Amino acid sequence: MRILENLNYDFLGKRKIAYSISITLFLIGLISVIVKGLEFGIDFKGGTEIVLQFDDPVDVGEIRTYVENLGLGSAEVKTFGGETGIMVRTEEQVIPPGIYPKVIENIESAIEKFSPGIERNIIDSTASSVTYEFANSEITNAVIDKLFEAGFQTGHVSKELDNKQMIVRVSISDWIKENLSVKVENNPFIVLKEDIVGPKIGEELKQDAVLAIFFALIVILLYLGFRFKFVFAMGAVAALFHDVLITLGLFAALYGLIPGLNLDIDLTVVAAFLTLIGYSINDTVVNYDRIRENLKIHKTRPLYEIINTSISQTMSRTLITSGTTLITVLVLLIFGGEVLKVFAFTLFFGVIIGTFSSIFVASALVYEYAEKYKKKLEF
Amino acid sequence: MKEFRFRIIIVLGAIGLALYLLYPTYVDFQNTKDINKILEERKQHLLAANPDLTTSQLEKMLKVVEDSLLSDNPEITKNREKRVKLGLDLQGGMRVVLEVNTSQLLAKIANNPDDTFEEILKEAEEEAVLSDESIVIIVGRKLTERGIRYSRYFGTIRQDDDQILAGLNEDTDDAVTRALEIIRNRVDQYGVSEPSIQRQGSRRIIVELPGVAREEEAKQLLQGTALLEFRLLKEPEYTISVMQKIDESLAKAIGVLDTVTTQIEIGDTLIAEGDTSFVADATLSTEDLSEEEFKKQHPFFTIALLDPQGGSADAYVKGDDKNKLLLMLSRPEVQKVIPNNVEFVFSAKPIGQQDGQDVYIMYLVNNKPELTGGVITDAQANIDPNTTAWIVSMTMNSEGATNWARITGANVGKRIAIMLDGAVFSAPVVRNKITGGRSQIEGMANMEEAKLLEIILKAGALPTPVDILEERIVGPSLGEDSIIKGFRSVVLGYILVVLFMIFYYKRAGTVSAAALVFSVLFILGVLAGFKATLTLPGIAGIILTIGMAVDANVLIFERIREEMATGKTIKASIDSGFARAYSAIFDSNITTFFTGIILYQFGTGPIKGFAITLMIGIGASLFSALVISRLVFDIMTAKGVKVSIG
Repeated sequence: MRILENLNYDFLGKRKIAYSISITLFLIGLISVIVKGLEFGIDFKGGTEIVLQFDDPVDVGEIRTYVENLGLGSAEVKTFGGETGIMVRTEEQVIPPGIYPKVIENIESAIEKFSPGIERNIIDSTASSVTYEFANSEITNAVIDKLFEAGFQTGHVSKELDNKQMIVRVSISDWIKENLSVKVENNPFIVLKEDIVGPKIGEELKQDAVLAIFFALIVILLYLGFRFKFVFAMGAVAALFHDVLITLGLFAALYGLIPGLNLDIDLTVVAAFLTLIGYSINDTVVNYDRIRENLKIHKTRPLYEIINTSISQTMSRTLITSGTTLITVLVLLIFGGEVLKVFAFTLFFGVIIGTFSSIFVASALVYEYAEKYKKKLEF
Repeated sequence: MKEFRFRIIIVLGAIGLALYLLYPTYVDFQNTKDINKILEERKQHLLAANPDLTTSQLEKMLKVVEDSLLSDNPEITKNREKRVKLGLDLQGGMRVVLEVNTSQLLAKIANNPDDTFEEILKEAEEEAVLSDESIVIIVGRKLTERGIRYSRYFGTIRQDDDQILAGLNEDTDDAVTRALEIIRNRVDQYGVSEPSIQRQGSRRIIVELPGVAREEEAKQLLQGTALLEFRLLKEPEYTISVMQKIDESLAKAIGVLDTVTTQIEIGDTLIAEGDTSFVADATLSTEDLSEEEFKKQHPFFTIALLDPQGGSADAYVKGDDKNKLLLMLSRPEVQKVIPNNVEFVFSAKPIGQQDGQDVYIMYLVNNKPELTGGVITDAQANIDPNTTAWIVSMTMNSEGATNWARITGANVGKRIAIMLDGAVFSAPVVRNKITGGRSQIEGMANMEEAKLLEIILKAGALPTPVDILEERIVGPSLGEDSIIKGFRSVVLGYILVVLFMIFYYKRAGTVSAAALVFSVLFILGVLAGFKATLTLPGIAGIILTIGMAVDANVLIFERIREEMATGKTIKASIDSGFARAYSAIFDSNITTFFTGIILYQFGTGPIKGFAITLMIGIGASLFSALVISRLVFDIMTAKGVKVSIG
């Protein structure tokens, strides 16, 4: 079986149509970015994120109300995976001073519940932990175990200091867990994931991501300039910008519109963008390679024809490879689980746009350049 | 066939190597399944026998069972070291990025800090958040701006500003090294398997603890000040008599139970009470009777070995037996015979190896320290000019010196253990009364040992404040779920792509299907061989490779078809098809490879894992397409098999 045998289609003739499609998509993206903005995940913003898996399905709205009452400011609550998964996210990294007393109160009442009237002292309290001292090490061990089982993050301070002290970590995630375990008592949960990212790290990760994409483009520019001609490299990189910007715009446009898909931009998304760059350049290079070959063979044929012929010749390969890649990306999207969903989603659109750009944009730009400067391309 | 012999050998060699590299992973997978099954059974037994066990007690006991399973069969550990490493996102665990808090450190080492200094420090802190400059540099600049000489707060009056600045930079550098050693020491004592503690840049430490269940305890390892103590070691006669009492009471406990119950039940009851001899009994049935008998009569000395000629009571304990021993020691009847002013402690580092296992020393020391590390003002590793051996000299403040003179004076000939966070780093003998606060510690085998002791001694004097910058915890269930889903996606993606290839390219498609299997095999083999880590994005990378790996095949097949259309023979078409497709395959894959390198350079953790599989995937799929597929085609045409490309 074969598709598109002996195809000879006037791709360059349709380039104006292709340009207008690209510009429309780009504008939609740009407007969405301006109006809705890009949502960054805690990787770049800094903050706390916690993912819980309940035994039975939970109502997100209900959990949202509980979390809003915790005094954590603007906390987001979303589903994760299915009906039993919940993700809570806030930009706070430590317990805000306003609710610190409440947190202590919570610990106190838990201690009272297990060992009423027990003698205890708070000997130290920091933004992230409280240290208690009890009469002797047996009591301390018992309290540590019981509180730990009740969901508190308890531990020994230092096994050598006569073992009388207990440290209780107080963090945003613990505060959320403690409260939810009381509120949703008949539906226990386990912690799937917990991330805390400080603002400094977030800033650095952002910088690294931008640098990574920037360097990737530079390296591609240099390599293609070396292997082909500089104009080809420019065309390829322009096509990559085209792909990345349109996909980014898509993120803004679709944000919040698809239920169950969390389109925050985090490290995984950046990886997906780099993969998309890798894929799209792959496609473009295959076309360029054919153009280069045909330019060598048919020295007198006009560039316009050569480009059309070359794209036509590689067309079946382009479609088959996009097809098989899309198949695997779709598998990943459907079966890959929550963490890889955004990755697969980005690539799904990325592959389509990347294929489009290598057919209609990358080579067309080479042609535009040659026309404008009346340059003859030779290898 | 002769003409293909060389290529066949290469291909078979590559496949064989990949299988060889992956074999430990397969074995480990089976072992882990078996171990988990045993642990689960044991857990049920324990819970049935002792319904009111707390989670942490249960965990400790199961850990001991696991330890002894591992020590009984060293092959398990060997295979585990060679398997494909899973990232934290797949096996669960914790990753923490720490940074030494330089401004707190400066405040600590400043001489007579006043309000101006506090103000400068505060400003510098705020500036450092947005700037790449280190706090030391910023503070220096601010001092210069205000016309204050550095020696006002740091160093000595004779030093100029540059010297002091260099000194401060060295101090912060030392502080990071110290923090690193303190954390390493605690992680070692805590017993996390395969921890990774790395220094990143000038002030950061990245700690990765796979499979840590109690995150709070793990976090405790990373924060808080280190406790350095000098404790008196008990005399050998005293220690041995305590050990004998422990041995007797343990033997009695086992004997009593032995007469009334069957072995398995004893085991569970004993474990539940804190003993573990059961594990050895049940799993080591091949041991001969007399050894078995010795074990029963001397459960303690079976795992804590004394050197009969040594003249000391230092007991040698295998790494895998440490938890078992601790659990034994925590039994109530054993607690009764241990005087309550002493305790057993372990050496921080293994002193050597036996049967491929680390061996530690167990000491009996006083509960109460004679002195704590706060009195140390300096420590230096040096070479003794007389003996050219490594020594560490230690200086104390006047208060410490007075106490030290009294302590050493009263204990000449005895040993004093230098302990950090409960682990013994050195236990030197006191030669004579040390007055004036300057001591020398001898007996270091090499520079590393001396440097380590220097760092440890300083840790007590100069606590290193660290901040947690980033913390990521992945629960084990999410990791497992990811593995299952990832694996399922790989298989399904492969089946779909292969079905398409066979449908579209007929027999040639089956060749590419085989090449694809080998690509995945090579990726995993290389991962195992290079001890690289497989992460969830890494699995995505493999799936993507499957999709993209066919590209090389597609390019070749399409090209062969084109060549055939021009009327060439099949053999000629295959030759020129491969030749012509080559430049496209090469250029397109190289550029993708470059993005992989950049991704690796700038990515963290899981993303790095993705970049690695992507790069290996490119290499593997090129080999499969250009070498394996080609070979199969050549053999087929040589044998006269009709090659159909759709």
